[in-house]
Amino acid sequence: MKALILGAGRGTRVQPITHSLPKPMMPVLNRPIMELLVEHLRHHGVRQILVNTSYLSGEIENYFRDGARFGVEIGYSFEGRMENGHRVDAPVGSAGAIRKIQDHSGFFDEPFFVLCGDAIIDLDLTRFAEFHHSRGAVASLAMLDVPRETVGSYGVVVAEPDGRILGFQEKPAPEEAQSTTVNPGVYLFEPSVTELIPSGVAYDIGGQLFPDLVRRGAPFYALNLPFRWLDIGKVTDYYEVLRLAMVGGVPGVTVPGTEIRPGLRVGPNVRIRPDACTIRGPVSIGASATIEDGVTLLGPCYIGPGAVVEPGAVVEESFVFEYTRVGSMTHLNRSIASGRFCVTGEGVTVQVAESGLDWILSDARAPRQVIADPRQMLEALMRLADES
Amino acid sequence: MDFTTETMNGVIVVTLQGETLDASNAKALKTDLVPVLAPGAKLVFDMKGVRFVDSSGLGALLSCLRQVHSSGGDLKLCEMGKAVRALFELVRMHRIFEIYNSRDEALRSYGAGA
Repeated sequence: MKALILGAGRGTRVQPITHSLPKPMMPVLNRPIMELLVEHLRHHGVRQILVNTSYLSGEIENYFRDGARFGVEIGYSFEGRMENGHRVDAPVGSAGAIRKIQDHSGFFDEPFFVLCGDAIIDLDLTRFAEFHHSRGAVASLAMLDVPRETVGSYGVVVAEPDGRILGFQEKPAPEEAQSTTVNPGVYLFEPSVTELIPSGVAYDIGGQLFPDLVRRGAPFYALNLPFRWLDIGKVTDYYEVLRLAMVGGVPGVTVPGTEIRPGLRVGPNVRIRPDACTIRGPVSIGASATIEDGVTLLGPCYIGPGAVVEPGAVVEESFVFEYTRVGSMTHLNRSIASGRFCVTGEGVTVQVAESGLDWILSDARAPRQVIADPRQMLEALMRLADES
Repeated sequence: MDFTTETMNGVIVVTLQGETLDASNAKALKTDLVPVLAPGAKLVFDMKGVRFVDSSGLGALLSCLRQVHSSGGDLKLCEMGKAVRALFELVRMHRIFEIYNSRDEALRSYGAGA
């Protein structure tokens, strides 16, 4: 079996995290979302995976390379061009991505899965393929049953009892929805489907290809098999997935580190004196991080590799990216932080660099300019106002 | 940064008028506020229109607070936008400043409610 992972989105609703990372590379603790998908595909027998890339394509390509490290073969379909040494993004839509690959080489010469690069799933893909073949389908999707009051956020699938798709309702009002099963974007296609996608134009699977399949009366089926689907559409989703990961609730993710006392896991070369800190689990600290004496860590929290948390800082139900320095005056509360930004679990962004807050959050590898004593820091801030 | 002042039941409400309080205007604001920060003054800064505060802006507000405290007065903040509030909490300034959601709440804390 083959697969396509859709990885060309800009991730506008997950800013500022996607400022320097494409969505498939957003880390769930120590691993990018896409790595979980690649592993899941491999587990179900997929050996060749194409990824369409556009926005920050290099981040994906440099991490996964040819896929050998992950036990698969990975190739990339870049949607854009180089102009004067700069990459110019030109995404062609989810269906357009399929057609572009097919036009290039005819890669899709057997049934292939299509997954979104920004949603974690644990669907039994083997059973999905069995269902698809048993129905003689040219296209199948995996449906998800959701509470009726939430159907307005999705494309509702209207299907016969045997799964044959009759149509869709795009974001219907709950009382108008003809079912509560929705389309979360997990597909299986026969190669012939690619011929229905026009070449050279942007084309969407959900909005264009599927209505066309219904119109044509093509054998198009929906599988109704419960599975976990963790979509990372917004910052609030991402924050909740990180919290879930810390209690073992995300498929394929185990909390990293060796447990050195109940609720505290650390990677290799971590500098910490747990007795000199206040710690409430679950807490995981990545390799080579430094947790100074007098730090408070209140779980669930994850401190990325190479991070430095200075004396007096409080990290509460928060997630700190790799190589982040967390200054003494900082209180991270239900937030996600890096050296460049801090965003709360509700999606409120504090512009760290623009605000001159390098004494709060900065790159742990940059020369240290932080004043550790809070009183001195306040004095320094007041002087700053005089100098402005 | 421009501001307006009004006195309500003995409390001076200062409404900051600009969207940003940063290195470009923090010092000027401090200077302009000198006549307002009279000894013993009870003040409320209404931050409703302010969308962005940087380190210099924090410093200016801290200077005002210190000046007012040293003369037996008080300074409270209100109507802070989400991003500014998140910044204050991130740097723990919400423990130094008294912050109220609304102007009414701030006035009531002085016993000067409408």
